[in-house]
Amino acid sequence: MFNAEKFVTEETARLKGHVKGNAIIACSGGVDSTVAAAIAKEAIGDRLVTVYVDTGFMRKGESESIKRMLEKIGLNLRFVEAGDEFFEALKGVTEPEHKRKVIGEKFIRIFERIAKEEKAKYLIQGTIAPDWIESGGGARDTIKSHHNVGGLPKEVGLEIVEPLRDLYKDEVRKVAKFLNVEVHERQPFPGPGLAIRVLGDLTRENVEIAREANAIMEEELEKAHKEKKITKPWQYFAVLLPVKSVGVHGDARNYGYMIALRAVESVDGMSASYSKLPHEILDKISVRITNSLGKSVNRVVYDITNKPPGTIEFE
Amino acid sequence: MKNSLKIFVVDNGGQWTHREWRVLRDLGVETKIIPNSVPLQEIDADGLVLSGGAARINWETLNLGKISEYLDEAKFPILGICLGHQFMALHFKGTVSPSATPEFGKMQVDIKSDSPIFKGLPRKFIAWESHNDEIQTLPKGFEITASSQNCRIQAMHHVSKPLYGLQFHPEVEDTEFGEDIFKNFVEICEKHKVRGSKHVQR
Repeated sequence: MFNAEKFVTEETARLKGHVKGNAIIACSGGVDSTVAAAIAKEAIGDRLVTVYVDTGFMRKGESESIKRMLEKIGLNLRFVEAGDEFFEALKGVTEPEHKRKVIGEKFIRIFERIAKEEKAKYLIQGTIAPDWIESGGGARDTIKSHHNVGGLPKEVGLEIVEPLRDLYKDEVRKVAKFLNVEVHERQPFPGPGLAIRVLGDLTRENVEIAREANAIMEEELEKAHKEKKITKPWQYFAVLLPVKSVGVHGDARNYGYMIALRAVESVDGMSASYSKLPHEILDKISVRITNSLGKSVNRVVYDITNKPPGTIEFE
Repeated sequence: MKNSLKIFVVDNGGQWTHREWRVLRDLGVETKIIPNSVPLQEIDADGLVLSGGAARINWETLNLGKISEYLDEAKFPILGICLGHQFMALHFKGTVSPSATPEFGKMQVDIKSDSPIFKGLPRKFIAWESHNDEIQTLPKGFEITASSQNCRIQAMHHVSKPLYGLQFHPEVEDTEFGEDIFKNFVEICEKHKVRGSKHVQR
């Protein structure tokens, strides 16, 4: 069985021996990168600078709460506001692989910039097994280029170090629990963020719709969980689909976009089944979304696809 | 005993190759992932798992790294999964071609005949699938050990050699009794190893 304590001891020692000089860690505040940061801090102490990038595709209130959490862990934090840069780079980009590559490159250029300022030669990342597996390479097909692996540009001016490379999410959570890092129960959120939950044009307006829909989905499910009506799904979110359908609003015809809700059960993200959520809860979410986002959205659908054949995120 | 048992995973480019490694590691077996290009003489193992992969084999040509060599000459048990299973059939002169109904995700598997690989399992269980092709004709010397509604040769084994094939994926978390199947394979490798060493002593 996986032994978190042994893993932390070995990995800390390995990083201590390997990382000579300053390093930056790319940290989104999610469980993977935060655990990687905690281990790296243990290994190299003050030589570690934690970089958080606000891409403009974060969830509602996310940047503020992550900032607080990372500071609490005592990480030396560099907070980069890069929304304009990301939106500019993604103008007109809709093909998912293209999108992920643009995002991967943007991240790296920012990290290179910060590393130069901090005189760091190493970039530590919270890459886990599904990231490199699904990114493909060699005999393996590319399912999706994860921004931190397959989305990297060809030339990177930093040495990349990935302490969690062989772990899956459930194992990372065990490490988080062992290290007492409070993120261990946070649901997964992909590095590209809402950019891959808006299918079609990445305008600020569309991203705002996805942000609001995601907030409603999360609030309602977390509330239902608190009231013990459901067990919390492994991951749950909303996606804005670039498809329009006809609705009726106040006796008048309406032509609006669609939101797909997705909630899945999984252990490691490499296979998943859709969550059998009670209709009562789905109903509540649907009503809230179609009312508060009524100007743009008039239909909500629930995704009942397992993985495979689907993937968890839509892109 | 188990501490010294070595079962390696041969990587044919599958999405779940690393999961196979993980299940074996969790069972306390010494394991690692090796490319399918490693010559057999360099493989110091007591058993091999042949992973799946995205390759749509040109079903006329027998070419998947050094797997043919392993199947012909290895003295230890081999478990082929998905593409590994299909290639095993092909190598022993069975046929493989695109499935009439490919299976993705959840499927019921029915055990058709007793096999050490299914020891202790119920006759029906849910398994996770992900394949476009399947074995159409069984190679000589093999028998079908499980089927599903859309795929007749869901599992097979050789009647006298320690060769096992599974079309579904026991390494996937969602597959029922997947870990038990791996435990059974570990046991098969263990028994084989003990028998082998006794043989040498004699």
